[in-house]
Amino acid sequence: MDNSDKIKPLSEKIVTSLLKDETSIDLDTFNTLTEDDKKHILFSVTNKNKREERLQLKNKLNKQKAWKAIIDSEKQSNTKRKMIYWYSGIAASIILLLSITFFSNKNDELINTAIVAKNNIEIGTDKAILTLEDGSEVRLEKGQIYQANNITSNGEEIIYLLTEQADHTEAITNEIAYNTLTVPRGGQFQLKLSDGTKVWLNSESQLKYPVEFNGLEARKVELVYGEAYFDVSSSTLHNGMKFKVYNQSQEIEVLGTEFNIKAYKDETNIYTTLVEGKVVVNYQDKKQSLEPNQQLNLNIQNNNISIITKIDNTYKEVSWKKGEFNFKNKTLKGIMKTLSRWYDMEVIFENKDVEDKIFTISFQKSFSIEEILSSIKYANSINDYYINGKTLTIK
Amino acid sequence: MDQNKTHELTMKEFENIFNRLYESLCLIANKYVNDLDLSEDIVQDVFIKAWENKVPFKNKNKIEGFFYTAVKNKSLDFLRSKYAKDVETYSSEGLETLQTERYFLRESVIIETSSLVERALELLPDKCAEAMRLSIESYTNKEIADEMDISVNTVKDHKKVAYKKLRKMSGYLGIT
Repeated sequence: MDNSDKIKPLSEKIVTSLLKDETSIDLDTFNTLTEDDKKHILFSVTNKNKREERLQLKNKLNKQKAWKAIIDSEKQSNTKRKMIYWYSGIAASIILLLSITFFSNKNDELINTAIVAKNNIEIGTDKAILTLEDGSEVRLEKGQIYQANNITSNGEEIIYLLTEQADHTEAITNEIAYNTLTVPRGGQFQLKLSDGTKVWLNSESQLKYPVEFNGLEARKVELVYGEAYFDVSSSTLHNGMKFKVYNQSQEIEVLGTEFNIKAYKDETNIYTTLVEGKVVVNYQDKKQSLEPNQQLNLNIQNNNISIITKIDNTYKEVSWKKGEFNFKNKTLKGIMKTLSRWYDMEVIFENKDVEDKIFTISFQKSFSIEEILSSIKYANSINDYYINGKTLTIK
Repeated sequence: MDQNKTHELTMKEFENIFNRLYESLCLIANKYVNDLDLSEDIVQDVFIKAWENKVPFKNKNKIEGFFYTAVKNKSLDFLRSKYAKDVETYSSEGLETLQTERYFLRESVIIETSSLVERALELLPDKCAEAMRLSIESYTNKEIADEMDISVNTVKDHKKVAYKKLRKMSGYLGIT
């Protein structure tokens, strides 16, 4: 009997014994398991906290949505085939490039495609600059460990701990100390605030936050610019203190939830996407609450807002924090804008016609820029491209 | 049963399996990748593949095992992939432990057993379910009586009703 075949009989045996209120459960026949394993299983099944943990996780799942995704997959399989096409496109074009190089050794006339003069475009990495309350700067990057009073960083994430003697009376008399985390182009970083709130910062983003919250007023942070994903520690754990995220044009008020804000300096819109829970967005003197899977777009030039309800690709909107790019029906211009932040490059469209071409494309952030471009080129979507230094020209 | 006779799932059967196993499978994936969103993606992918490929089952009793194994394999594939190596610090156990059959069997049994217990409790009237839940948490009859503010005899009555109902429903629960 295969191990996986034992899951069902073993579980049934335990359940039956538990429900019959049997004092000892005979699991001797299942000798793949050690005594420790058996104890661990019984403990985990009957322990109240473990049970509640499981129920909490289950509550977060979206079963209906999952079933819909599965039955829709037949319809989507066309899109999926396109994705496979993209990936195979990458492989094929690498072979194509290789064969071009091979021939070019013999015949220089053949070099007329995908010219790469000097490619300095690198894949982004974990990095950020931490500005302390006294104005001094600390460079954080992958592989470098930083440790100060209540701050630790492993080079991918920075964590703020609560001070041991959290004496609130002292906190009011002292001025609140603020730190700033700046993620440059070509970077990404994670942050855990002293209240347990987790923040993912995307390339070219800046967040200003108190080293410690004083516990007497709403927890406030400022997204100075850029894109951030917040997983806010619930107000119920902080005497009901709300969490507020400010930026130049709006304020987001939350109780405990997960959401994404995209507020780049060079874009006209601020996008607030709610993944879970509830938030209220305040702008000018208006208030707008959001439900999960809704996105609020605030145009900062004319202060117009639009709310997209039930966007079906919330996951895609926030997949950047998981190391993926998922573009669904986006223009090449928009895609290149996002890519230019991660690859820290400048993109020039010599051929303006392709700027507004619509793409659906997914790939890992660990792909090189050439892997991505050659697949786009392979699909005959662009004629050619040219890389020189950190500049990419689309022809 | 003819050894070579295989059973291809109908849409209805497939849906029943999904309804029964989806949450449990997400929890087992989460035991590996420690990310609930990703776990949902993994499980959905497994169901999509199973449906597209019309996976045949020789024996209905192997269905659970098939799905649990498929989810485990896909989760491990993810952990071994290039991207996951960068974020290894986020999973709770080392890959070496996660790859063992023991870990797989132990965690799967915990999740499957708990899921069967929850389904059983859902079938009972509120008071009965409450008494049974406490009983499973190893409360004695006396403790249950105190907790629920009822007499010990009433606790015993609740339990009797529960056994009776559950025996009738065991077929429905899949307990043989």
